[in-house]
Amino acid sequence: MTNSLADMDRSECLFVIGSNTTETHPMIAKRILRAVERGAALIVADPRHIQLARFATVAVRHRPGTDVALLCGLMHLIVRNNWHDQDYIRQRTEGFSSFERVLQNYPPERVAQITGVAVEDLVRMAEIYATRSPAAIYYAMGITQHTTGVDNVKACANLAMLCGNVGIPGGGVNPLRGQNNVQGACDMGGLPNVLPGYQPVGDEQVRSRFEEVWGTRPPGQMGKTIPEMIQGMQEGRIRALYVIGENPRGSEPHLRHLDSALEKLDLLIVQDIFATPTAQKADVVFAASAVAEKDGTFTNTERRCLRVRKAVDPPGEALEDWRILCRLADALGAPQNFEKPEDIFEEIRRVTPSYAGMTYARLGIDGLQWPCRTEDDPGTPILHVGSFARGRGIFHPVAHKEPAECPDDAYPFILSTGRMFAHYHTGTMTRASTHLDREQHTAYVEIHPKDAQTLSIEDGDQVRVSTRRGAVALEARVTNRVRPGMLFMPFHFQEAAANILTNPAADPVAKIPEYKACAAAIEKIMGGETAQERSV
Amino acid sequence: MKDIVRTWLESGRIDLFLGYRLVDGHPIPHCFSKERLEEVEQLTESLARYPLEKIAHQMLQKDPAVRIGLMARDCTQRSVRVLAAWNQIDMDRIRVLTMSCCPSDAKDKAFCSYLQEPETGPVRKSNGMPSTGDPDDCRVLPAEERLRRWLYEFQKCIKCYGCRDICPVCFCKDCGLEHEDLMDKGVVPPEVPLFHLIRAVHMAGRCVDCGLCEEACPVGIPLRLLYRKVNGIVTDRFGYRVGQTKDQSPFNVLGEFSPLELSSLDD
Amino acid sequence: MDCRLVPSVCSYCGTGCGVLFSVIDGTLVGTYPIKTHPVNEGSLCIKGWNLHEHITSPKRLRNPMIRRNGQLQPVSWDEAIQEAASRLRTVVEEHGPDSVGVLTSAKITNEENYLAQKLARTVIGTNNVDHCARL
Repeated sequence: MTNSLADMDRSECLFVIGSNTTETHPMIAKRILRAVERGAALIVADPRHIQLARFATVAVRHRPGTDVALLCGLMHLIVRNNWHDQDYIRQRTEGFSSFERVLQNYPPERVAQITGVAVEDLVRMAEIYATRSPAAIYYAMGITQHTTGVDNVKACANLAMLCGNVGIPGGGVNPLRGQNNVQGACDMGGLPNVLPGYQPVGDEQVRSRFEEVWGTRPPGQMGKTIPEMIQGMQEGRIRALYVIGENPRGSEPHLRHLDSALEKLDLLIVQDIFATPTAQKADVVFAASAVAEKDGTFTNTERRCLRVRKAVDPPGEALEDWRILCRLADALGAPQNFEKPEDIFEEIRRVTPSYAGMTYARLGIDGLQWPCRTEDDPGTPILHVGSFARGRGIFHPVAHKEPAECPDDAYPFILSTGRMFAHYHTGTMTRASTHLDREQHTAYVEIHPKDAQTLSIEDGDQVRVSTRRGAVALEARVTNRVRPGMLFMPFHFQEAAANILTNPAADPVAKIPEYKACAAAIEKIMGGETAQERSV
Repeated sequence: MKDIVRTWLESGRIDLFLGYRLVDGHPIPHCFSKERLEEVEQLTESLARYPLEKIAHQMLQKDPAVRIGLMARDCTQRSVRVLAAWNQIDMDRIRVLTMSCCPSDAKDKAFCSYLQEPETGPVRKSNGMPSTGDPDDCRVLPAEERLRRWLYEFQKCIKCYGCRDICPVCFCKDCGLEHEDLMDKGVVPPEVPLFHLIRAVHMAGRCVDCGLCEEACPVGIPLRLLYRKVNGIVTDRFGYRVGQTKDQSPFNVLGEFSPLELSSLDD
Repeated sequence: MDCRLVPSVCSYCGTGCGVLFSVIDGTLVGTYPIKTHPVNEGSLCIKGWNLHEHITSPKRLRNPMIRRNGQLQPVSWDEAIQEAASRLRTVVEEHGPDSVGVLTSAKITNEENYLAQKLARTVIGTNNVDHCARL
């Protein structure tokens, strides 16, 4: 997030797109509702009729995969009506004139046709976002999990810059991070192209600085992303995989493809707290620790580094993950002299400028938001104040593209996948929790009443959902939360795994698979088959 | 206060004392013991309220013989009495140390987070229930308007069950809110208004009006108002005031025959 | 009897809500929201309130394991670490460091992520480090 959660109390307009916030980030939804009750405007754009839409000033349900068109349509209207912030554009950005020309391709009539959103709704959205300042944009995987994910994000950033909403309190472009420490994993260099603190692996000076602390020079050649590793496994170029606290067999698209890649490995090491489907394929399993069983830090979606503290010991012989990593490094002949997580944090500070000012004592319970460069730096609640990290903000022209797979006669529905409120990701944690499992015990697929009627499907019926990659059997939930022609499936349920169905087609830059839109068919199951039936 | 706790622990009148201490500037519940007597120096009052009696209840379930001291507000004492009335705890195992809470001219200070002004704004004012917490303030609204406003409040619910999970007097093993026959599961908001009415009915004659549910509610549903209303009915009909005495019990308040007549409950 | 309330952070989504773990006699028995926390201000969602349940689940892994005769079997830490290290070393010797991939995690701590990528980059010698940020 460019801004902070507390900042929401200062927004005059909140634009939520591609985030079912009350279910996936409920404590952020808390602040959204509070802002609405205070009098802020709320714009909601989501293909489904999500709970937040009930409280919106304008809520629209655009066709899945048409975010770029929708956002460009709004910007077209803003420029046409002179609602944009021309001083801000002149002083703080570049590339506006070529960008403006591209916007001309998105008159409201055309956008209405692409997105299915009425022209008058587009006008209201544009006017509210542009005239209620400061305005903040919030998005989640509904924006990123598309083959046009990067373009979607750029379109959000363009909209925010167009109205002068970046670098000001109550504004910003705010992705809501899905996992407790996905921010921290990125910050710590858990990526193939950067070292801790987003320092490029290709930079000689950067590598020299790390060599001074590490005693070993890190390699300079860019590594592989997960999809590239899977491809490498297929081709025999990746021979060993060490998976920590992840369940790719539950989360990667096109499970059959992944499984055949895993089969080819010489060695699969899995470090987890449960015997996940991925762990069950492993050659070596390390029994690891959960959140209450170790000290350390997480960094949340607003870049706030927070301390987690040990409350109990891991069960049985299980060990804290940092101890396992130290033991493995030791066995590989590179002993790490860390006695406690705080020692590791002290090394992190030395090599990561944005964390340099943090200490465990300073973090306390409230934490600190990076960048925090010195021990008297109070941290940074809002990024890009005064100027952008790179100087001027660039308008990136973007163009609408259809999803990689569109409905056709054989697969007439658009299938979208995501989370529901009681479960989390592949369900390894939440389905082991009595109360959460009781709240939602079975897999289901949402279908619009009209479609259900055409296919003689009733609420609670067993149905088979299929795509070009596979099929699963599960329960139908007939609801007008989805649009006609659309299906929605939570991906928490291994017995009807959404990733048997989803399309591995990914954004060319970010490599995020298109989980939010693929072509699917649905039919009622007539006797004989069970919900556990799987195609693999 | 510290002296009293130290004396109680030293003399063995209690084994443990549940109070608060500051951790990195935040008041956090803490269990003081004879073995770590020096910690009592850190004992502090806290504006933030946690259900200490719920923690004590859990401790007593593990070891019914343990004697626990509690830093207690008026509401804490009411819930201790309710838990005792429902045979959940043995009163003799709990010793309360009263702390200044609800405001009075006779007191120097009042320590209660509930005294903070509730947040309000134009949208809340026109759609939500009045936030004064007084059922009489709602009666001025026509019934239809009240219904509209309650439905608005309930539609905000994100089904965290926080109202139940923080409630010091919610102890049922099987909760009606999770009963498949009563409630559709796996959707938010939960069935409007059924979810909240089921809990309201359950709170009648049980709620100690501590307001922890409302504080924990992420979306600001005026739950305290709702439960005050149902508790008021119980008081009016049966003269039963929750948590006021040990003698009156929910088991004998109705007497041998129930005087309930459906026709008389139409307001 | 011992009872402790330990401040920490919820490990479900990326919001970073402050939680208090309630521990009685070394057993995790409950989760409460930290009332004064800057992120969640005394509230939690259904997952947060039940955070302790997955941690105390009987399904938790209690031992390291090695696959022997097609079956995963509990072993000691020394055996598991040695097995992993020697087979990793073989792969690196035969196919080079870039034949190894390390998937670090959006669930574990910063310290652990830091160690994982450091292990990949300095001990194994590859930048093949990624995690599920994309998912």
